[in-house]
Amino acid sequence: MSSIDPVTRDLWQVIAATDEITVGVVEATLLLDTRIALTRDSDGSPVVWLRRDEEQGDEIDPASVLDRLPAITGYGYIWTSLGNPPKELFPIPEYAESDRVNMSCGSIGIHVSAPRAVENFLDMGHFPYVHTDILGAEPHTEVKEYDVEVSEERDEVLATKCKFFQPRAALSAIDGMEVEYVYRVPHPFCAVLYKSSPEAPERRDVIAIFLQPMTEERCRAHLLQSMIDSTSTITDLRRFQQTIFGQDKPILENQFPKRLPLDPRSETPIRADKSAIAYRRWLSQKGITYGVIPVAS
Amino acid sequence: MTLSLTDPTWYPIASSDDLPFRHVYQGQLLGRELAVWRADDGNVNVWENRCLHRGVRLSIGVNEGGELKCQYHGWRYANRSAGCTYIPAHPADAPARRIQNRTYPVREAYGLIWSAANDDQVFQPFPGAEGNDWFPLRPMPVNAAPEDVLAALASLAPDDQPADLLPGLTLHFGDTYYFVQPVDAGRSVIRGLLSAQPDSATLRHCNETLSKLRDRVERAAAKKPAPEPLNPAFEKVSAELSTMPEIAVPRGNTLTVVVKRKWTSADGVIGFELAPRDGHLPTFQPGAHIDLHLPNGLIRQYSITNGPGDLMSYIIGVKQESASKGGSKVLVESVREGDLLSISEPRNNFPLRRDATRTVLIAGGIGITPLLSMARFLDKSSLNYELHYFTRAGDVAFRSELEALNGKVIFHTGLPREQIGSTIASALGEWSLAQHVYVCGPSAMLETVRATAASQGWPEASIHFEYFKNDKVIDNSSAFEVELARSAMTLQIPSGKTILEVMRDNGLTVPSSCEQGACGTCLTTVMEGEVDHQDVYLNDSEKRSNTCMMTCVSRAKSARLVLDI
Amino acid sequence: MAITLYDFELSGNCYKLRLLMSALKLRYDIVPVDFYPGRQHKADWFLRMNPFGQLPVLKDDDLILSDSGAILAYLARKYDEASLWFPDDPAVTAEILRWHSVADDITATSSAARLALGYGYDFDIAKTQKGAHRIFRLMDEHLWFGEREGRDWLCSPAHPTTADIACFPYVMLSEEGGVGREDYPALRRWTDRVRRIPGFVVMSGIFPAGRAL
Repeated sequence: MSSIDPVTRDLWQVIAATDEITVGVVEATLLLDTRIALTRDSDGSPVVWLRRDEEQGDEIDPASVLDRLPAITGYGYIWTSLGNPPKELFPIPEYAESDRVNMSCGSIGIHVSAPRAVENFLDMGHFPYVHTDILGAEPHTEVKEYDVEVSEERDEVLATKCKFFQPRAALSAIDGMEVEYVYRVPHPFCAVLYKSSPEAPERRDVIAIFLQPMTEERCRAHLLQSMIDSTSTITDLRRFQQTIFGQDKPILENQFPKRLPLDPRSETPIRADKSAIAYRRWLSQKGITYGVIPVAS
Repeated sequence: MTLSLTDPTWYPIASSDDLPFRHVYQGQLLGRELAVWRADDGNVNVWENRCLHRGVRLSIGVNEGGELKCQYHGWRYANRSAGCTYIPAHPADAPARRIQNRTYPVREAYGLIWSAANDDQVFQPFPGAEGNDWFPLRPMPVNAAPEDVLAALASLAPDDQPADLLPGLTLHFGDTYYFVQPVDAGRSVIRGLLSAQPDSATLRHCNETLSKLRDRVERAAAKKPAPEPLNPAFEKVSAELSTMPEIAVPRGNTLTVVVKRKWTSADGVIGFELAPRDGHLPTFQPGAHIDLHLPNGLIRQYSITNGPGDLMSYIIGVKQESASKGGSKVLVESVREGDLLSISEPRNNFPLRRDATRTVLIAGGIGITPLLSMARFLDKSSLNYELHYFTRAGDVAFRSELEALNGKVIFHTGLPREQIGSTIASALGEWSLAQHVYVCGPSAMLETVRATAASQGWPEASIHFEYFKNDKVIDNSSAFEVELARSAMTLQIPSGKTILEVMRDNGLTVPSSCEQGACGTCLTTVMEGEVDHQDVYLNDSEKRSNTCMMTCVSRAKSARLVLDI
Repeated sequence: MAITLYDFELSGNCYKLRLLMSALKLRYDIVPVDFYPGRQHKADWFLRMNPFGQLPVLKDDDLILSDSGAILAYLARKYDEASLWFPDDPAVTAEILRWHSVADDITATSSAARLALGYGYDFDIAKTQKGAHRIFRLMDEHLWFGEREGRDWLCSPAHPTTADIACFPYVMLSEEGGVGREDYPALRRWTDRVRRIPGFVVMSGIFPAGRAL
């Protein structure tokens, strides 16, 4: 079994969408090669523990679970930790705005490491080839210069002024347009993107991906949308996001090696990959070894 | 027997019929995954199944005939060399020539595709290979160790005619050869060859026999512990590719080529086919040129006219100009078929964007050469283009090559001067988003296209020129200091004199040719200081990188330059 | 006529109908069903249309149909004027239905493995993967001999039928269930041919093939 580095061990890790967990019913999952069980107690708050002989779907009295792992609810999801997590989850302030539609979009297993999935989420160059006619279309393939920084104050990777021509950037978009993105990586296995909302151009739709590292080479992607959209239904919005994610899945599952290589000589970066390079360096500097191939020392 | 990652034996990895045109076959040998594809010229490529950019399997990519396109970011890799020819995220840049996938040796013979983990052994036919019309049986994958599969095959032989065991997991009895492809420690493929074309009953019978054998071997294998799979390492890319952005790659070595063919393509235009002495030539991109080292010591640039993945020879066109001062003239008059010439590796100052909704190519006379290559690339990718070819009266160079294209190719022969302008105007039309024009020809024509395009709303970034001459006015007014790091000399460059001239004045021998910033012969690595580029040789990203310069025209913006001389 | 498809984008069974309707150039409306994570196919309103609680459901005016194979046959019989996709010939009909039944076996194996690995379904992964490999071996053999005999498709006519459409999606999505196809070269070539059928459309998870020579 892989060893879990101390940084990863102390992180909050997403494990399920809150509203998919029934009070008093056991849900079983895998986190960092560790079997986990969870449920919600009568007031709805999450209860998470190291799974023993419980089976998926068993009924359980949450009060009988004494040896609990830390648990927290945030952005519609339940988070836990195998170590000593920080007091709070990273911030997504927009989530609290009252006129937004917030929704989970399902949790999808992928046969790739969590960092590979984060890196794909930050990538624009694949839009015309993987999300053809939705997030991109030939001949508009150029990735223009954008800015990347690692914010020391907030300890996150930030990419700004990312522009890409999109035929149908969101469900509420009809015509093609150049869309501006901001990407944040506030957690080694989570990324958040902001894009101008077609309905309210001065505000931004928020889409986040929270990855649950199940093993070093497998993860579950939990998607969050926080949208300014007064016309689409939740089913429509989920469908849009699942369509996008379903297109990324075969790419990610055909990527080798499955763990993200941090040695710069493992792959061939280009200028468009600035954010990925910053992300890889940031993981290296943090000392993350889970789900990555560290630079040989 | 333990499989070795470095086993140099040639094994069959596919049947020839497994590789129809425009298909990518997924194979594996000794634990290494392979992307195998046949180009439109029939050549079979066996590559590591992994795009160098982000590690995505190339077997889910698209075989475009002369190039393989990665499904993730659309990177294109050339037939034969596996060199990257196009990176769509940066459509205006020519990719570093050294982005090249790992390739494996390949041979197509006896209805099978053969490959090996390395080049250590020369391909040799199996005994008795010659003289038969071989037919490959349906390949039979087996989830069992290769040696177990081989042993089971041997047991198929009749008692009175035991199997003849040959090296390389091969055996033979009756009129059939069996090869076991070692896919991995616990996986194999049986590839049988019949010595004559079978009828369908025979084929069915063989298939049934092998299926039963497979089931038997797999049942036995399931009872044993599964062998540990081989664990091949992915090779690291070169250090220069791991940094970002790309840095300029100073001119590589020269190559020796043979003049394979020399012919008159049209009145005053001579075609030369230049072939390597063995193997294939380096990857090039549409618009690229080579330097040709002439017997009289001069160096001249010629565009490559080839299409995608066409690396067995470069074809160039040379115009015999009456005014030529011994450049083209020498080539045309004294170089003959069979002669050896030195050429540089291809360079590209005229990269073709493949992200246009419409591409207009305008050629005047011998300026057709780079545009012919561009048209061939666009053609193969089914991209929308028009090629306008202006010639004086008389025959048209490369006519048959142009007529073989599927796109719109329009010949404008012998037009009076005043009509050329209006023809260019209507060929260009009004500009709209993602349209690009490429022009190569006499200076007057370049100027006409530039002015007409501008007046019809074409932005500067959509108009692309190829310079064979540097027509820019050189500003040589600056004065600065140059330190030659390896020569341990410091020189003062006054205004009015070039770095090259001052170096010569001080007794240094440095190569040069055109001395107008067009040919690239005096390319020098810059170690410190900021360069004032005035040449037309380096492309914009190379200029921006500030790592090299042309000492014949370029100068310093900083007070001091340190050069690697 | 007004056709409505109750549809989930990531469902290969729904995609079969989108694919045939595209090849037939039929216009239709989509009602998205939140199969995952919303489990709307088990909601009362859906069960009233299909008590089996399975996607897809297709409404043609007042007629409500379920089961992808049955709907493929219906659409082809009703709207394919050339009678190519589901020909009238009794022997060919039997051939096609035979492969529709294989398609259901592919759903029970390859698709089940995909649901288990990707969507948290409690299926026996090793068993479903093994089952998918068993079917793929037989398909590869059938298609290899077909190529020798000049047959490009699953059934004997010289053109694709609903059998090809019924079997295609969960072959193509098998890697999501951990079932690789590198051992089935003839099957892989057939997926290229299917992806070059005029009117072919993709679904999320399936990429188009390049142009043929």
